[in-house]
Amino acid sequence: MTPAVQDNHLQPEELNAFIDGEPLTPGGRDIRQHLEACHRCAWRAVTATQLKAATARAGQRFSPSPEVLARLTASLRTPQNQEPQQSTPHAVIRRASFRPAAAWWALAAAVLLVVSLASLVEVRQARQSNAVVAELLDQHLAAIAGSAAPQVISSDRHTVKPWFQGRLPFSFNLPEPNTLPPDTILRGADLVYLEDHPAALLLFNIHKHQVSVFVTQSAGGFTVAPRATRSGFAVRSATAAELRLTAVSDVNPTELEALLRSLAAVQ
Amino acid sequence: MMIHVQIQTAVSALSRNTRTGCSEAHVTMSSAIPGPTFEQLALPLLPSLYSHACWLCRNHAEAEDLVQETISKSLRAFDSFQPETNFKAWIFRILRNAFLTSKTGIAASRTVFLEDHADLLETSDSGPTPEEQILRLDNQAVVNEALDQLQPPLREVLLLCDVEEMKYKDIALVLDIPVGTVMSRISRARRALLQLLQTHFRESL
Repeated sequence: MTPAVQDNHLQPEELNAFIDGEPLTPGGRDIRQHLEACHRCAWRAVTATQLKAATARAGQRFSPSPEVLARLTASLRTPQNQEPQQSTPHAVIRRASFRPAAAWWALAAAVLLVVSLASLVEVRQARQSNAVVAELLDQHLAAIAGSAAPQVISSDRHTVKPWFQGRLPFSFNLPEPNTLPPDTILRGADLVYLEDHPAALLLFNIHKHQVSVFVTQSAGGFTVAPRATRSGFAVRSATAAELRLTAVSDVNPTELEALLRSLAAVQ
Repeated sequence: MMIHVQIQTAVSALSRNTRTGCSEAHVTMSSAIPGPTFEQLALPLLPSLYSHACWLCRNHAEAEDLVQETISKSLRAFDSFQPETNFKAWIFRILRNAFLTSKTGIAASRTVFLEDHADLLETSDSGPTPEEQILRLDNQAVVNEALDQLQPPLREVLLLCDVEEMKYKDIALVLDIPVGTVMSRISRARRALLQLLQTHFRESL
């Protein structure tokens, strides 16, 4: 690092604008170029990126129940029933008229409402699924960036598995090294939390690619699509013996699936 | 230089997430063709509006009433919405103004908030070292708690930026403050959040 770079670290506003995807101010310096040269600011960028992702997860705490969504949607659909200022929100639902002449209109409105609610539920589920994939990717990036060394660094399954005793509310098995796919090595493990549930993070190398495998309980935990891709990383998920195995890596997806199969086979 | 590659990957991944979120949220209308109706624009935003209302009111029933009031007000004012602008920012501003005039909002506004004086409140490099800033953010419960403890104005700007994935200019519109103030407030918010997390982790050691 040159002295000029060392003495001229990124200002907080510059760093935030960069991780928030905001355009650089005219005449501003090249942030990426600075990050390549400045180790300290590079670490700050990693921290800030992780903090942003964690804040996003924490901020999605409140979601409307189906009943609330139905009432809110109904208020969109029946504007003529809304009297400015005086109307109480819940009164909108109670005022529905069921005169025979309007029955068909009511039926049509009900069908529309059901369709809208279904699409909203789908949007919400897709958003939650995306959030899980983003969290998995975030954890994988943190693991391979080396921001925090794994708590177990060992390729010995008899060292890795016992370490989780008392740390997880479930147990799992690790395959013999000779039953793993070719050129696949266990590097270590860590305890992480996904969607507030404890998970075993198993770190593997396939060739020179780093792989994170998250082992969680399949019941009551998060759900993720069996196959997903995000930002060039493949995400593969499988269930075996009440466990969910989710792998993230930039390795060939076929090899990732082979690793999952070998793990699933010993559960 | 491995770490630099990873940073670019991480930021790139985050940017993609942000863009994905924007496709849902940042709906703008073209003036050349008949624009979408109020219902078409507002319907996908109901979960976001409710979530943000919950954060403002800290009460589910009040939040629902606030969203209902927002729908009512924005529907009446829809004629004044400019199609080339951001609908989400527009309706979030109405939500926020409705909150500020509510009983809960008036009570909350009595809390004194030191406005954004960067020269007084920002110290560029007096904080912990970058290595110290690397925290174990995988403990989501701790992050939730820290977000709860954050001052409401700081929390609000972070929610708009990180959860609602709004651009700075849209946040400025919602909060009715200059873009520069948005930038400094986000900076303060993240620093405050980081300090809360660091305090927790030091205490837990």
